[in-house]
Amino acid sequence: MISPIKIWRNQKKYAQQIGKMGTIISWSLINVPPEGFIDQSPYPIALIKLGDGTNTLAQIVDWETKHLRKNQPVIAVIRRTQEVTSDEVVAYGIKFKPCL
Amino acid sequence: MNISITGCGQTKFGELWDSSPRSLARQAVFTAIADSGINKKSIQAIFVSNMLSGILGMQSHLGALFAEELGIQVPAFTIEGACASGGLAVHSAINSLLSQKYNTVLVLGVEKMTDHSSEFISSALMGAGSNEERLAGATFPALYALLARAHMEKYGTTESQLASVSVKNHFHASLNPLAQFSHPLTLDQVIRSSSVASPLKLLECSPISDGAAAIILQSSSSPKKDSVEIIASEVATDTLGLANRNSLTELQSTKKAAKNAFTSCGITPSDIDIAEVHDCFSIAEILAIEDIGFDKKGEVAKKMEQGKYRIDSDGLVINSSGGLKGCGHPIGATGVKQIIEIYNQLLGQCKDRQVKNAQLGLTHNVGGTGATAVIHILKKHD
Amino acid sequence: MVGIVSYGTYLPKCRLSLADIANVWKKNPEEIIKSLGVSEKTVPSIDEDAVTIAIEAATQALKNFPQKRSNIGALFIGSESHPYAVNPTSSIVGEFLDIGHNYLSADLEFACKAGSAAIQIVASLISSKQINYGLAIGSDTAQSKPRNALEYTSASAGAAFLLGSSKVIASLEAYTSYSSDTPDFWRRDGSKYPSHAGRFTGEPAYFSHVINSANLLFQKAQLKASDIDYCIFHMPNGKFPRDVAYRLGFTEAQLAPSLTVSQIGNPYSASSLMGLAATLDIAKPHQKIFMVSYGSGAGSDAFLWKTTPNILTIQNNKRRNHDLVSDQIKNKTYINYLDYLKQTHKL
Repeated sequence: MISPIKIWRNQKKYAQQIGKMGTIISWSLINVPPEGFIDQSPYPIALIKLGDGTNTLAQIVDWETKHLRKNQPVIAVIRRTQEVTSDEVVAYGIKFKPCL
Repeated sequence: MNISITGCGQTKFGELWDSSPRSLARQAVFTAIADSGINKKSIQAIFVSNMLSGILGMQSHLGALFAEELGIQVPAFTIEGACASGGLAVHSAINSLLSQKYNTVLVLGVEKMTDHSSEFISSALMGAGSNEERLAGATFPALYALLARAHMEKYGTTESQLASVSVKNHFHASLNPLAQFSHPLTLDQVIRSSSVASPLKLLECSPISDGAAAIILQSSSSPKKDSVEIIASEVATDTLGLANRNSLTELQSTKKAAKNAFTSCGITPSDIDIAEVHDCFSIAEILAIEDIGFDKKGEVAKKMEQGKYRIDSDGLVINSSGGLKGCGHPIGATGVKQIIEIYNQLLGQCKDRQVKNAQLGLTHNVGGTGATAVIHILKKHD
Repeated sequence: MVGIVSYGTYLPKCRLSLADIANVWKKNPEEIIKSLGVSEKTVPSIDEDAVTIAIEAATQALKNFPQKRSNIGALFIGSESHPYAVNPTSSIVGEFLDIGHNYLSADLEFACKAGSAAIQIVASLISSKQINYGLAIGSDTAQSKPRNALEYTSASAGAAFLLGSSKVIASLEAYTSYSSDTPDFWRRDGSKYPSHAGRFTGEPAYFSHVINSANLLFQKAQLKASDIDYCIFHMPNGKFPRDVAYRLGFTEAQLAPSLTVSQIGNPYSASSLMGLAATLDIAKPHQKIFMVSYGSGAGSDAFLWKTTPNILTIQNNKRRNHDLVSDQIKNKTYINYLDYLKQTHKL
């Protein structure tokens, strides 16, 4: 069971990230997922350079093949992250989707 | 430094359904003790290397566990640094000898991974990365895949060149009776294997394995003829996750540890005859050869494709044991096994995979995606 | 005067065509599409839910809100798919929107009219001067049982309305509500899929409540259909809103801008709210908009809005950012029935 307190503490920083823009530095399409991400697979993860010069590593959503490339602009959104059982607290986190 | 390896023992690496961590440890340690010819009572401390026992099996406190299991009830420690646990345990053991607190110590690397589902193991291995990486649903193949893609972008490294790393290492493994895999691979087989995390394929990823490896280290002001000494032991640390790294096309921890190791004993990369490097994924071996300084950045992949670094080639041989890919990668045991391979090569004990006239060897052990790197240099004492 | 200060909408990117659904169950696609007046519906990604969709819609609304977010004194979210039976969607969303802690929130449930009820509640808090600004959101990832008729239309969307009393783009001139106990459509606690009472959902349910609520509003505002510029009705399909518009004396042209249902299906608590947003996207200043929602169980909330010149700025901003409902409708990727089953957690 994922600790709801850990989820709560992690989520505090996400409000500031929503809407932040970045560009893809490198990416990989995961076909063999770890536990907790099986239903979402296959999915890409990417190392993303943000506007403030820092990098972040996150999942890419709402993507097409043409979006998986270096320098693709992306924007931060909130989505569900690890799959949880029906008794657990839902885990939300930051993912990135391609900008139009 | 006056540190000698006086005995080694290793189990076969692989899916060892009948073996428990205790039976693996006994096998490796008692072989090492017999090899050294010492009485087990002279061992003064045990350094255990392991990553996953607490996560997978709910068993921590391995120092105490193995001290009791082996009947060597002496000070015992567990050292953990993800996949670099073995190298770190050797480094810590060496420090204890250099401090003169002990003069004879045992290093035991042991890992039991195959009792659990691969998805659970994949998730547990992400304990070596950052929280951000775990929450993104990253896996270790995916993190190294990011590095592979960056390397391919910057230096034009090809999928075929990466695949040739696995071909070489399986060829070497086919000559190693303790290796997990005994069958050679063709380039075509590697390239056509299923995609795990693009662009890395299944046959470019080291397997899930069980195994144990043990060495006896002694401080000796007068080492015996035909013995093996460790003449350098260096550790370097970089950021836990990839997001905070300065570069995606080199592991700066490897560079730093290697530079310090060579400087500390006054030798250069070109002096090394044989090396065991950390090929958790094909790209990792390319990066290792570059970052240790054996060959120039961007030129290694092509040389690999051309057959360099093989036992049957001229010059430096990389991963004669089969590496992590061919020999197997029981996490905590790997760093210790690397030492054992070089030890055996320097003493001419490797039979079909013997590298001629090996005098100086190097081991390179990495934790996570390069957050920790450990370099050891071994010398044959004649 | 209380009114809308800004608004935002969100449509999940995926679409499932009704023809694909019909083919799975060996029904005639043309017949189904014609009788429902819907050709495709939105499907959420596997990692989207009423929380994430509400955040998207509200974030868009907040783009055109120049004040500090901590000025928001209330947040009510209506949904049929709140992720928890106990633990409010509204405060999870409030935390992610960073609106501080000085606000009243609660989750609302009233089938498809939970979102419009949120608007009436927030509006009342503002007119009583208890708060200055408040957010009312309708957000759903509606569930339906495979092969059941509801499967053709149950969809997903979010619409958020930031209400206040100054610089409004549309003032709330009058509102009414009509409620009764009418078991036309329900879902028991713990049950995954809703059930419905067939044709009972028509005349005694949808039409009775919408018409009654509308008539109450016509009376209160002393207006008839021809005095009004646009109308919006809850859209369980393409037929019902057209029927009830005709019966209340509205023309096709008055209804047309609101009919998002043909392209997105019925996103339950966000249905009439999406229609309102689509109408606000194209309305001119000083126009009257008549909106009636419907929620099974049953009830209808009716609103009379009047646009102001302030609406032009918001329309320009949305046009520039491709945030109009029409932009979101166009931004789509088609999926097949199997992906639909996976994404809606049925497989």
